[in-house]
Amino acid sequence: MTAIRAGGHVRLRDYAVIGDGRSAALVAADGSVDWLGLPDLDSPSLFAAVLDPARGGRFLLEPEEPCTVARRYLPGTNVLETTFTTGRGTARVTDALTLDGGGALGPMRELQRRLDGVAGTVPMRWSVQPRFGYGARRPRFTSRGGVPVVTAGADALAVRAWDAGEPRCDGGAISGRLDLCQGRRALLAMPFAHQEPLVLPTRAECDARLERTIAVWRGWAAERRFGGMWRDAVLRSALALKLLIFAPSGAIAAAATCSLPEDVGGERNWDYRFCWVRDSVFTLDALLRLGCSAEADAFFWWLMHATQLTHPRLRVLYRLDGGARAPERTLPLAGYRGSRPVRAGNAAGAQLQLDTYGELLQTGWLYAGATGRLDADIARRLAELADLVCTAWRRPDSGIWEVRSAPLHFTQSKMMCWIALDRAIDLSGRGLIPDRGAARWRTARDQVRDFVETRCFSADRRCYTRSADSPELDAAVLLGLLHGYAPPGDPRMRATVDAIGRELRHGPYVARYSGEDGLAGTEGAFLACSFWLAECLARTGRLGEAVALMDELVGLANDVGLYSEEIDPDTGAFLGNLPQGLSHLALISAACAIGSAAGEAGR
Amino acid sequence: MSAWGTAAGAFVGTLVLTTVLRAASEFRLTRMDLPFLLGTAVTANRPRAKAIGYLMHFANGQMFAFVYYAVFVAIGHAGWWLGAVFGLVHGLFAGTALVNTLLPLVHPRMGSPLTSAPDVALLEPPGFLMRNYGPSTPLVTVLAHVAYGSIVGGFTTLNPD
Repeated sequence: MTAIRAGGHVRLRDYAVIGDGRSAALVAADGSVDWLGLPDLDSPSLFAAVLDPARGGRFLLEPEEPCTVARRYLPGTNVLETTFTTGRGTARVTDALTLDGGGALGPMRELQRRLDGVAGTVPMRWSVQPRFGYGARRPRFTSRGGVPVVTAGADALAVRAWDAGEPRCDGGAISGRLDLCQGRRALLAMPFAHQEPLVLPTRAECDARLERTIAVWRGWAAERRFGGMWRDAVLRSALALKLLIFAPSGAIAAAATCSLPEDVGGERNWDYRFCWVRDSVFTLDALLRLGCSAEADAFFWWLMHATQLTHPRLRVLYRLDGGARAPERTLPLAGYRGSRPVRAGNAAGAQLQLDTYGELLQTGWLYAGATGRLDADIARRLAELADLVCTAWRRPDSGIWEVRSAPLHFTQSKMMCWIALDRAIDLSGRGLIPDRGAARWRTARDQVRDFVETRCFSADRRCYTRSADSPELDAAVLLGLLHGYAPPGDPRMRATVDAIGRELRHGPYVARYSGEDGLAGTEGAFLACSFWLAECLARTGRLGEAVALMDELVGLANDVGLYSEEIDPDTGAFLGNLPQGLSHLALISAACAIGSAAGEAGR
Repeated sequence: MSAWGTAAGAFVGTLVLTTVLRAASEFRLTRMDLPFLLGTAVTANRPRAKAIGYLMHFANGQMFAFVYYAVFVAIGHAGWWLGAVFGLVHGLFAGTALVNTLLPLVHPRMGSPLTSAPDVALLEPPGFLMRNYGPSTPLVTVLAHVAYGSIVGGFTTLNPD
């Protein structure tokens, strides 16, 4: 492939991600690190050229001559390998955010970029242009014992270069160049510190840490259990999700970035560096399926801790540190290809989304099924959530898609309320949560179903609609089948799967919904919906269609196997934040379900 | 000054401190749960962690009270107000260094800023002033420690005769 940068931007499809379980960086195919927030995933950015090439800052590393590019992750790792081939030679760059551990004193965070001469000679240049605080804080360039250091408030970074040319500081950058010959190895390391002194590692320590990072990732990947169809895609999705798991707390971010547009040039630019309760069922299910019991425990513990302050009400999303407030503000950045406003924080956090109650109770139900127990505090809180749903289900809400138009009685929200009550009844029946409200829950569950079946089902269209008394369709209704509102054989649900496939699907692409959402502009096809449809097709017995759709969807990933939130059906361009956890979660769920259906069909 | 008074004050003070934190939790002011944090250092079993954590918590209450007692003896003075000042310092120390910085480094199940993949923490780190456990946590924690300190100080001055 050839990386094309126009107007300072590459295609979103051209980004790969590296991370260490605390933060994540976007690496463009042309070798530029265009996004990195430090010290944490949701910290203000150090590099944000993806959102503003002029002000955002980046870490450029590229051949000085025209080249072609080939990329891959080192097998079973989140370490990226980019191979540049010019007319005179081939150079390989290995990028990693190195992992902690191993006993040696290491930097708080560290980005390493290793250069290997593979063939001939490749002239390379590099430039570190840090812009702290989304480009708002002025960096101060100094030197410590000959090592270039950049500071801004409580943050500091150093640039260590070995055989990578003499670093020079000018124009707000630390830069260098080298002629990389065959067999020669150079190394660039960028240690970072926040509220502590910088650790300046030696080359031997850096080499050892990079090798250990590769080995640790491989060890983690080797323990994942999945042997079905699309194994490589599932493993890559698992590794991408692992990058989104915030190791210090166990929370999982929806994506690694903020404000990458759903509509290029438009206003649909959101910050996804939070944990959505909406994603919790798919998250826990995927972690359990893949044998990630430590991550599953940590996520459930974090989820129950984070929701404690607002209990029994749920916020739509929580910060990775467990906080409930995520105020939205506009950043003074130009936006990806002029997509403004650039937002940090997310105002959807304050919306009412009734489906979250169903998601949390379903998650608790899954966790109880896996572990066989719930502790008394959590059990009491799950019961109180069900109590709340008995009255709250009657309210209109903003729905799973967080529309910014007037609240409605969304069908999927009501279905998830039914699931919340049904799961509570089941848990109480098994003695896992208190049963004093069970009679109320049964009554409310029947009322919710009556509402859905009379108001949210169109006799004319013969399918469930987007909201009560609406003619519109919504792919989120597929979750009613996936989470258990209706069994696969239910004729109404089956007809709804058909209607969504007929009206919202175009090739492998599925739109989220028809109708308006209170925002200007349009959006691409929502990838998770496509995977949900594939899973629904398998569950309703259309295995051949499901496999065909899944094959197409797996082919839509970028060259290193990642997905964004949406894809433009006309151009195949990635849209929205990436890597998108929900897309990868939906892939894992669909692959497992289709594999299971294929196994049953084969018996 | 009476060491027996200090011991009794430590017990009552810890009881009050625990009750204040528990009540604040019920009023959604904080997710801080000291016995739980202490107990999970020993076991991942939640009910068992809470039981063990309460024992450790009351033992800590005794230990800190006798640190107070040592200072009372050294300066030759004790009392409700002086105890409250010690409690204030104790509360601030707990929020800025003890629970915020030291506990994550020795707690095997708590995340710290250095926790990285593939590890994943079972317990979120408390953050500066323990604000990760709720924005009101610093206030609640300091007030609870002030109450603890004043009770220890007051009991220390009680004359057993």
